[in-house]
Amino acid sequence: MTSKLKIWHLIIAICIALLLLNYGLVIKTYSLIIIYLQIIPENYPRAISQIGFSLIDSCASAILVVIIPIFVYLLRKRVKIFYVSLNFTSAAIIILISFFIFAPFAASSNPNFQQNISETKLLPPFSSVEVIHLKRNEKPEQNLIGKFFNLKKEVVKNTFDESIIFADSIVITKVATIYQKGNQVILPKDTILFSYGKPVITKKLFLFGTDEFGRDIYSRLVYGARISLFVGLGSVTISLLLGLSLGFLAGYPGGFVDTIISRVTDMFLSFPAIFLVILILALFGNSLFTVIIVLGFSGWMSLFKIVRSEVVSLKQKDFFISAKMSGLSGYRLLTKEVLPLILAPVVVNLVFQYGSVILAEAALSFLGLGTGSSYPSWGAMIEAGQNYLTEAWWMIVPPGLCLFVTLYAANNLGKEINLIFNPRLKG
Amino acid sequence: MFLLISFLFFLLRISPGDPSLKFISPDLSPKLAAKIRDSFNLNSSLVDQYKAFLINLVRGNFGISYTYRMPVLSVIKDYLPFTLIFSSISFLIQIIAGFFLALFSVKKINGAFDKTISKLSLIAYAIPSFVLGVSLILVFSSALNLFPSSGLSSFDFSSFSFFQRLSDYAFHLVLPLITLSLSGVAVYYKYLRENLEDVYNKTFVLNLRAHGFTEKEITRKHVIPNAINPLISVAGVELGILFGGALVTEVIFGLPGMGRLTVNAILSRDYPLVIGCTFISGVLVILSNLAADLIKVRVDKRLLKSTLN
Repeated sequence: MTSKLKIWHLIIAICIALLLLNYGLVIKTYSLIIIYLQIIPENYPRAISQIGFSLIDSCASAILVVIIPIFVYLLRKRVKIFYVSLNFTSAAIIILISFFIFAPFAASSNPNFQQNISETKLLPPFSSVEVIHLKRNEKPEQNLIGKFFNLKKEVVKNTFDESIIFADSIVITKVATIYQKGNQVILPKDTILFSYGKPVITKKLFLFGTDEFGRDIYSRLVYGARISLFVGLGSVTISLLLGLSLGFLAGYPGGFVDTIISRVTDMFLSFPAIFLVILILALFGNSLFTVIIVLGFSGWMSLFKIVRSEVVSLKQKDFFISAKMSGLSGYRLLTKEVLPLILAPVVVNLVFQYGSVILAEAALSFLGLGTGSSYPSWGAMIEAGQNYLTEAWWMIVPPGLCLFVTLYAANNLGKEINLIFNPRLKG
Repeated sequence: MFLLISFLFFLLRISPGDPSLKFISPDLSPKLAAKIRDSFNLNSSLVDQYKAFLINLVRGNFGISYTYRMPVLSVIKDYLPFTLIFSSISFLIQIIAGFFLALFSVKKINGAFDKTISKLSLIAYAIPSFVLGVSLILVFSSALNLFPSSGLSSFDFSSFSFFQRLSDYAFHLVLPLITLSLSGVAVYYKYLRENLEDVYNKTFVLNLRAHGFTEKEITRKHVIPNAINPLISVAGVELGILFGGALVTEVIFGLPGMGRLTVNAILSRDYPLVIGCTFISGVLVILSNLAADLIKVRVDKRLLKSTLN
């Protein structure tokens, strides 16, 4: 399949789209970075205390959203991977990765953003709600730190925002009357934000609707992609390290050590991993990191088998013996002599492993043993949606589709990589 | 197996929390509290505890469930048969459906049927069972109102005759069985299709054709027996996945099986029951793997020789 569109077209298109849709936010983020850099020499301890994950996150994605397209455009001829033609798999993977990196820009609000729950809960997709903006009680600050805080409030998305009110309809006479589901709220006029003599009333669109707490499902999906990718990468890395080191440890000296490690692996293989994972999580409690670690520890067995058998066969090859004779350490032997040769099966295995880890994470979240309620995870979203099955199908279908697309893409990617490494399979 | 038990014991001991605390309320006298704590055997040495644990396991004594106030084994006894029957029906469906689909699509490689089914099997393989289950409920019971969404029997079940009861069970199991079986069907289909295609391309099939055997005879007597062998080891692995899948499916559809029991036990922190359930499920999987290995050896005698050597 050779289409004219290549991967780098899509990457640049996504970045430009994000830039155009959020140009105000991007500019604000850049001025925030500049002010921050000015604060550092002036008031060092204060500046350090302000660093948080969400701040770094916003700033990093603001920088990357400009740098990445430039780099991709300049390097497109040199780096082969940008010239892979665009199909369903590669497009899905790139969109997921861009969600992962640019989550603050791709999402329209914080995944846990809640305001006027009675007004926004269980809204169907593509519904919009009127928003009236209130005056923020803040003075225009002169010193740097004051400016910094004002800007930070606008750049970093919070879980609450006191300066807006969602409403069904708004009537403005001498006072503003706000109707919210049969509830009538009257606001004095001087609390409302005016620009050019008119009150600021906008519409907020909920692309995929809202859940039972009035949270935007689209934003939760974007941040959920982050959790899925993070869990996948983390536990695959753990599996990789374990499988590689244990496999080398078992295969290289052979004998007694080999027997013991292989028996233990057989034991783990014979017991279904899901029960072990559930048991451990049930006994020790579940959080993001326990899930990553436990899933990582449950997936190294197949990798171990591959590495061990390869090492056992490589051990008798001449080049390996000569490398050993020249006095290379075990670590050097592994990285310099063994790894390049077993790269292909290991990478393919890792990609498949990655798919199964994402699936396992979602299943665990679905059973209530996942990453916990503080992170939006696709599995947890589906689980929450089960209770509102008859009234809100949009709580289930979008995360389910995302999960399906991710798994499908991971499976296909594994297959394609396998084909690249073993062209004979094409037949 | 033995290592597994030790591993379980180890997990249990290093897990945080004192199980006896659940039964001690602040109103109890300190003396009684100490007695209760003693009854959990936590003060004796680790070796003694391990011995007691092993002896209890051999006797099938997993302790007493906190929520059901019954011995764990008798609780499991109520739930186990359903899961066994449910999984084995699904297992049969998977193999039979996968087999016939593969057979039909191999008849005409790269035909329309073959292409659509191959694409569909890729999709079916990638759908997580809980997404599939919930969507099926959404479409068939919530929107179309065709099948019941949960439970095993209707409201007026006790007034039914025997056959009505059977059909009622079947009616309730349609959606769960589809959910549980679909990905398995895809797996078997994929393996069988590849194997059948391989065997059809072998020279001995050409030879048979040259001798004038009918296509039907070749397929039934020569191709299928050759293609089915590698499937047995796949089936052994699939069974383990099947039990895990049954766990999720039972939770979605509210079926009274081991899976739901396990999850409920986890959620209510009922540790003896959790241990019992995982242990029994693990033993079942290991046994099914063993059975698959035995069948494999029986079918192919060469394997036995290689293992003995």
